[in-house]
Amino acid sequence: MPAKPLSILIVEDHPLIAKFYRLALERAGGFACIVTEKVDEMLAEIEAGRVDLAILDVSLSATEWEGRNIDGVELARLLRERSPGKIPILLATAHAMAGDRERLLAASGADDYLEKPIYDAKQLIEKVLQLLRRN
Amino acid sequence: MKRYLAFTEEDELLLRSLGPRLEKYFPEMAERFYSQIPFHANAFRVFTGGEEQIVRLKQTLQRWAGGLFTGVYDQAYAEERFQIGYRHVRIGLEQKYMISAMGVVRAFFNECLLQEFPQGEQQHVVALAMGKILDLDLNLMCESYMHATVQNLRSLNEQMERANRDLAEASQSKDEFLAHVSHELRTPLNSILGFTKLILDGLCSSPEEERQLLHDVFASAQHLLGLVNDILDIGRIEAGKLALQSETVSLRAVLDSTLPLVAITAAEKSLSLIDATAGVALPMVRADEVRLRQVLLNLLSNAVKFTNYGSVTVRALLNTNPGDEFGVEQPTLVRVEVEDTGIGVPPEKRNSIFEKFFQVDPSNSRRVGGAGLGLAISRRLVELMGGKIGLEEGKSGRGILVWFTAPLASQQSIDTLQPPAPKAVRATK
Repeated sequence: MPAKPLSILIVEDHPLIAKFYRLALERAGGFACIVTEKVDEMLAEIEAGRVDLAILDVSLSATEWEGRNIDGVELARLLRERSPGKIPILLATAHAMAGDRERLLAASGADDYLEKPIYDAKQLIEKVLQLLRRN
Repeated sequence: MKRYLAFTEEDELLLRSLGPRLEKYFPEMAERFYSQIPFHANAFRVFTGGEEQIVRLKQTLQRWAGGLFTGVYDQAYAEERFQIGYRHVRIGLEQKYMISAMGVVRAFFNECLLQEFPQGEQQHVVALAMGKILDLDLNLMCESYMHATVQNLRSLNEQMERANRDLAEASQSKDEFLAHVSHELRTPLNSILGFTKLILDGLCSSPEEERQLLHDVFASAQHLLGLVNDILDIGRIEAGKLALQSETVSLRAVLDSTLPLVAITAAEKSLSLIDATAGVALPMVRADEVRLRQVLLNLLSNAVKFTNYGSVTVRALLNTNPGDEFGVEQPTLVRVEVEDTGIGVPPEKRNSIFEKFFQVDPSNSRRVGGAGLGLAISRRLVELMGGKIGLEEGKSGRGILVWFTAPLASQQSIDTLQPPAPKAVRATK
């Protein structure tokens, strides 16, 4: 029986981009993907230890926590706080103006940052593996 | 030496009696002169000198008041001298050479006094008195001039600060615009590049999946094209570089050519697309035909996009003025309305809806697409064509009604638009 695949949480409000992550990670990396925009579902998966790494979009339009909309930066801090072990978090965003990278990494406490467009499956997987090895 | 109160009520009356003369020669200064008498009075209240001198001062002042310019000079010459002197003051003031103005005036008065009071001591006392009045007057002028200058500088400073603030705001909104544009462009690019790379890398499981991904690529590329066009439009409009034609345009033709473009989507969503003006004579309007169609298409596709059940209705009405002097009402504008029964816009968001990148509900806009530039562009286009645009609650209490106006081409005889029988537009495939 093959080893259980590593599981990646994808939080992305644009359906086509979420679809790209899922296809790239499943097909080229053999990962399992959990795609959701709902915080309750994310926390349930994380607390049950079913998430090995999270990829979070910064601009989230439909992700709510305690009755208000939160973005990927706040979500990263929330997931960090609630996860039993330290899950690597990768921020992915189309906010790519000068200074965004430093600002967003510092504010979210995420491990790394990817700038959209992200379109090469191999590069995405290398980044994911690198973060998984580091932990 | 004794000190006397030299400036009595009598003196003040004397000074006041100079008023009419002053009004004659210095009409613009007379008012200021009257208002300054109390200052002058204070200045002369303490006069250091003997009784005799005070009597003499009074006498000379009286003489001065009684016939300053009629004694030595003849009237015409005196007037001329005063006009010259006054012009000097005016020029001096206007050119902001206060000191030189003062000097000129002093010299001029000294000359007058010399002519008027040739005897030594009298002349000296009167010159002293007059000089003091003059100095005070000029000092006050200087002060008020300085005050005005300071006020001017202050308001210039404020203007500059305001201009700086405006510039900073403009620069910030430009940065925000760039950040927004960059974000909006990257999103469809991500799908286009990502899916084509997946296909090229041979990561698809079946030809059907490849086809589906290509469909996504195509839709993203179309979205990107629309975005690029919108951004170019906004850029051109904001730079004032959008050249609009001023043509006589048939509103009927514009409606007829635009409605079919949204009819297919409306039919796919089972919406009735109603042309409430079908079969009615519509006026000719003054507009740029391409841009008028663009505005109408923007409003119609928004209405279809944000309506899931019910209908989208377009209608045209003539707007009349309250009437001219004969009470004849003249239509000058046509008002085009696009009404839907869709999700509507909360009242607190209605003012912002014509702003760039504004999304009533960001999560919904992600699903239905669009960067939030359509209405911003429409507003600017309508205004450039001499009309207005606005948003109201839908008449049915559901959805919204967006209207815009366009000026009529010229005086036309149009039958008043009758509310016609609504006609559904058929989707033409």
